[in-house]
Amino acid sequence: MEALIEAALRLAAPLLLAALGELVIERAGLIHIGIEGTMLTGAFVGFVVAVGTGSALTGVAAAACAGAGVGALFAAFTVLGRVDQIVVGTAVNLLALGATGAGSRALYGGAPPSAPTLGPLLPGPLAEVPWLGSLWFAQTAFLHAGLLLTLVIGLVLTRTRPGLQLRAVGESARAADSEGVSVPLVRCLAVLIGSSLAGIAGASLSLAQSDSFTEGMTAGRGFIALAIVIFGRWSSVGVLLASLFFGFVSALQFRLQARGSGIPYPVFLMFPYLVTLAVLALASGRARAPADLGRAYAREAS
Amino acid sequence: MLDDVSLDVASGEVLALLGENGAGKSTLMNVLCGLVKPDAGVLELGGERIDLAQWGPRAALAHAVGMVHQHSALVPALTVAENLRFGDPQAGLWFHPRAEQRAAEALSRRFGLEVPVGRRVEDLSPGQRQRAEILRALGRGARLLILDEPTAVLTPNEASALFSAVRRLCEAGRAVIFISHKLSEVEAVADRVTILRRGRVVASLAVRDLAARELGRLMLGRDLPPLARRAPPAPRSGEPALALQGLSTSGASEASRLRGLALEVFAGEIVGLVGIDGNGQRELEEVLAGVRRPSAGEVRVAGRRVALQPRALRRAGLAHLSGDRESAGLVRGMSLAQNFILKGSWDDRRFFRHGRIDQAAARRATQAAAQRFGIVPPDPDLDIALLSGGNAQKLAVARELDGEPAVLVAVNPTRGLDVGSARFVHEQLLARSAAGGAVLLLSTELDEVLALADRLLALVRGELREIEAGADRAAIGALLLGAGAG
Amino acid sequence: MSDALLALLSGSVGSLAAWEATLRETTPLLITGLAVALAFRGGVWNIGAEGQLLAGALCATIVATRWCVDAPAWLLVPAVALAGAFGGALFGGIAGGLRAARGVSEVISTILLNFVAGSLVALAIQGPLQEAARAYPKSDPFPAAALLPSLGRVHVGLLVALALVWLAHVLVFRTAFGFRLRAVGLAPKAARFAGISPERIALTTLVLSGALAGLAGAFEVAGVTGQLYAGLSAGTGYTAIAVALLARLQPLWVIPSALLFGALEAGAAAMQREAGVPAVVTQIVQGAVILLAVGVSIGRRRARPRLDRASAEAG
Repeated sequence: MEALIEAALRLAAPLLLAALGELVIERAGLIHIGIEGTMLTGAFVGFVVAVGTGSALTGVAAAACAGAGVGALFAAFTVLGRVDQIVVGTAVNLLALGATGAGSRALYGGAPPSAPTLGPLLPGPLAEVPWLGSLWFAQTAFLHAGLLLTLVIGLVLTRTRPGLQLRAVGESARAADSEGVSVPLVRCLAVLIGSSLAGIAGASLSLAQSDSFTEGMTAGRGFIALAIVIFGRWSSVGVLLASLFFGFVSALQFRLQARGSGIPYPVFLMFPYLVTLAVLALASGRARAPADLGRAYAREAS
Repeated sequence: MLDDVSLDVASGEVLALLGENGAGKSTLMNVLCGLVKPDAGVLELGGERIDLAQWGPRAALAHAVGMVHQHSALVPALTVAENLRFGDPQAGLWFHPRAEQRAAEALSRRFGLEVPVGRRVEDLSPGQRQRAEILRALGRGARLLILDEPTAVLTPNEASALFSAVRRLCEAGRAVIFISHKLSEVEAVADRVTILRRGRVVASLAVRDLAARELGRLMLGRDLPPLARRAPPAPRSGEPALALQGLSTSGASEASRLRGLALEVFAGEIVGLVGIDGNGQRELEEVLAGVRRPSAGEVRVAGRRVALQPRALRRAGLAHLSGDRESAGLVRGMSLAQNFILKGSWDDRRFFRHGRIDQAAARRATQAAAQRFGIVPPDPDLDIALLSGGNAQKLAVARELDGEPAVLVAVNPTRGLDVGSARFVHEQLLARSAAGGAVLLLSTELDEVLALADRLLALVRGELREIEAGADRAAIGALLLGAGAG
Repeated sequence: MSDALLALLSGSVGSLAAWEATLRETTPLLITGLAVALAFRGGVWNIGAEGQLLAGALCATIVATRWCVDAPAWLLVPAVALAGAFGGALFGGIAGGLRAARGVSEVISTILLNFVAGSLVALAIQGPLQEAARAYPKSDPFPAAALLPSLGRVHVGLLVALALVWLAHVLVFRTAFGFRLRAVGLAPKAARFAGISPERIALTTLVLSGALAGLAGAFEVAGVTGQLYAGLSAGTGYTAIAVALLARLQPLWVIPSALLFGALEAGAAAMQREAGVPAVVTQIVQGAVILLAVGVSIGRRRARPRLDRASAEAG
C-alpha cells in the first residue's frame, strides 16, 4: 500500500504542475491544447541544459523559460492575433514534436546520454522513515512545488487583486476591459505563467521520472491535464485532487502490469485515456467553465 | 458614428442626452469613458485638457469619470464586493473578502443604495445590479457619472428611486449625464438636455424651456403620424389560434422560472405581454421557439397540440420574431438569401428539393422580399453581417411573415432599431393581425405594448397577471414591481 | 542544407518514381484533409482523424485477414473499404455521442481516442490479428484479392479520393445538409433557433468525418502496406489539420493543399535517406504552415473593418 501511494504521488506530480498551468490559462479565458507540446519542449530543453551544465536545477529553470517561450508564441497568435485557440494549440503540438525530435537526433544521434536528475527532497535517514519518508521526504521537489503552487494559486485567485482581475478577464473580458483591466496583458501573462509551469512539468519527466529524453515522452499527459482541469472544476484544490486520482490510477496500472496479470501490455497503455474519457463523461455538464473560455476579445470599433 | 459633437456639463447638474436609438448617444459616452477612440476632438475635465491619444478606460477612471453601462459591465461570476474592487487602482494587492464586504456595505449605506454586497452578481435582480454598478463608480470617487439608459431594466418604482438617488448625488456636487430616449424621464430628472440626431447635436437647452412636442420633433427630425390603428378585432369565436396550458419550466434564475402559464390568443388579436428582463420572458420565448423543453404543460396551435421543436412549431403555423440577432436565427457570415431560406432547410419545397438547395429560387424570393420590405441594399448575395441592424431585422420580419403564419410570436421586435424601422415593424405586426393572424407580443417596452396590443398581460416572476383595460402607467408599474424588488 | 533541399525536391517531384511516392502520400491526406475540413466547417473540432484512420485500418484488417479471407476481389475490396469507413465512423461517433449526451468537448475526446486507437492497434497485432508466424507485431499480409488495384505504385484510392473531394464540395455548398452544417459552424445559437440542432449536426459530422478518415486508413493497409503494423500512420491525421486549414476549409482547395503536403512527406523521406535530415522536420513545417495559414487570416481581418464601415454607410 505504501509503495502504491508513493508511486501515485510521484506520478501525480507532473500532471499536477501541467494542470495548474492549464488552470491559470483557462481561468483567464483561453483553452490551450498545446500544453502537451509545451511539456515536451520543457522536457527536451530541461534535459539538454541539465546535460550541458551538469545541474538538474539549471535544467528545470531552462525548462520553465522554454515553456514560457512556447507560451509567448501561443499568446502572440491567440491573444494578440485573436486566431482560434484550438488551431494554434494543434500547431504548437506539431511544432514541439518535430523540433524536439529533430533536435534530439541532431544533438545525440538517437542515443541521448544520462542527465543529472533531481533527487529526493531530503535524502538520508529521514527518507527511510516508514510512510512519512517515502511519501514526503523521498519525493522529488516537483511534488512539493506542485502542492505549494496549488496553495499559492488558490490564494492568488481568491485573495489578491491580480487574481480577481484574472478571473474577471476569463469570466467577462468586456466587463474587465471597461474597468481599466488590460485584457491582452492579463491573458498574455497568464499564458506565460501557465506555460512555464507546463515546461517545469515536462522537466519532471526527463529529470526526475527518468534521466533521459525520448521523442514524444509526454505521451498525452498534457491532454490528460486538460481533462484534469475540467474534472477539478476549475479550482486549484479540485485540480490537486483530480491529479492525485490520475496519479493513483497510473500507479495501479503499473502495479498490475508488474504483477504479470497476463493482461497484454497495450491494455495498460490504453487505460489512462479510457479512464479520462469515463471521468469526463461523468464530470462534464455539472461543472461550470469560465464564461468567456475560448473566446477571443476585441474592443468594438466605433 | 459621430459628427462634430460638442457638449458640456457642470458640477451639481444633470444633463440629459436625448436621442432615438442609433443617434449616437452610446457611442459618445463610450468615447467619454475610453472604450471608443474618436478620430478628432477635444476633451476637458475640470479645466484640464486631456490628451485623447492617452485616453482609455483606465485614464477615464483616473479622471473620476464613472460609467454605468446599458448592458451590465459587472462580472456575473464575481461577488459585488469583488466587482467593486478588482479594477480599483487605489486598492492594494490583497483582497480580504470579509473586510472588503464590510467596506462595501459602508459605501452602500453612505450613498443610500441598497445592494447585497456578498452575493454574486449573477444572482442579483436587474435593479440591484444597476445599484451595484453606480456604487462602484461612486466608490471610485467618480465626479462625473454617466448613466446609459438606466431605466431600461427597471420597474417604474425602481426608476423613481433611481431618480431621487441621482438628485441626491447632484446636491452633493457630482455631475451626471443621463442618457435616455424617453421624454418623461428627462422631465423628471434633468436640468438641461442635449439632443442628438444621426450623430449630430441638434439642440441643447434647459429642461424648463422645453415643450414635449417640440422636443419630439427635434429628436426625430420629422413628425411621425400616430400609428394607424386597425378596427378592433371581431369577437372571439371557436378555438384560440394559440393556447398555452400549464406551462412550467426551469429557468436561468429562480425568478425567471415559468410557473403554470395559461394563455389564449385568438385569430386577429394582438396580445401584449409586458415584463421586465429576468421574469421569464426569455424562457417563454425559448419554449415557443422550440429550443427549451418545458417541465410541464403544453402548447396548442389551432386546437392541436404541437411538439415543442422548432420544426414542428413552424409546420403548425407558428412563426417567431426576435429583436435579438441570435434568437432571431440570423447567421452572420451567410448571405441574405441563405438567411432568408434558413428555417426552411427541412421542409420548404420552394428552396430545398431532394436535399439540394435551389439557389436561384432563394435569390429571387429574397430579392422580392427585399423590394417589398425596403431592405437596403437589396442584394441577396450580400453577407448579412454587413447590413445595419434595422435592415437585418427587416429581413427577419420578411422571413417570418413569408408564410403568412397563423400565429406570430414577436419578442422585443424593435429592440435596437431606429424609430423609422421600429415603426415599420409595428405596422407589419398590425397588418398581420388585420389579415387574421394571431400575434403574441412579448416586450419590455411598455409603450410598445400599449400602442399595439388589444389585450394586456404582465409577466411577473414567471406568472401571468391580468392588466385591466385602461390601467394607467403607475398601476402597471406597481404590478410589474412584483418582480424587481427582491 | 542545399543537399537536403535537393533531396527534398528530387524525392518528391524529380522523377516518375518520386511523383508516384508523392501521389501515394497525397491520397490519405486528401481524404483525411477532407474529413477535417468538413468537421471544422461545422464548428466541430475533430482532432481525432489520426485515431479514426487507425480504427479504420484495424477494421479493414479484421475483414481482410480474418473474416473474409477467401472472398473474391469484387466483394472483398468494397468490404474492406466499408469496414474501414465503419471503424472510423465508430470512433467519430463515440466522440459525437459523448458530446451530445454528456457535453464532453470533442476536442479532448478525439485526442484521447487517438491514443486509444493506437493502443488498440498495438493490442490487435500482438494478439488476435498477429501474423501466423507470431514473429513480429504485425498482421498477416492481406490476401491478393483484398489489395486495391493499382497503376504502377499508385493505387485506385487516389481516384476515389478525388471523387470524394467533388462529393464533399457538393455536400457542403449544394445540399440542405451542408447548408445546415455551415449555419451551425458560423452561429450555433442562431442555428438552434432556426430549427437546426448543433448537437445533432456535430454527431452526424463526426460520424461522417470519422468514416472518411477510416476509409483513408483502409486504403493505406489495402493499397500501400498490405498489412497492419504499429507505425502505419506517422501522424497523417494531424497533417490533415494543416491540409484542411491551408485549403481554408474549401473541399476543392484540399487537392492542391494535400498535394503540397504529400510532396513534403515523400521528399522528407528522401531527405532522410540521402541527406540524413530527420523526417520529423516535416512536423515543424506542418506546424509552421498552420500558423502561416491562420496568420494570413489575421491580416485579412485587419483589412476588413474599413469595408464594414463603407457598406454600412452605403446602407
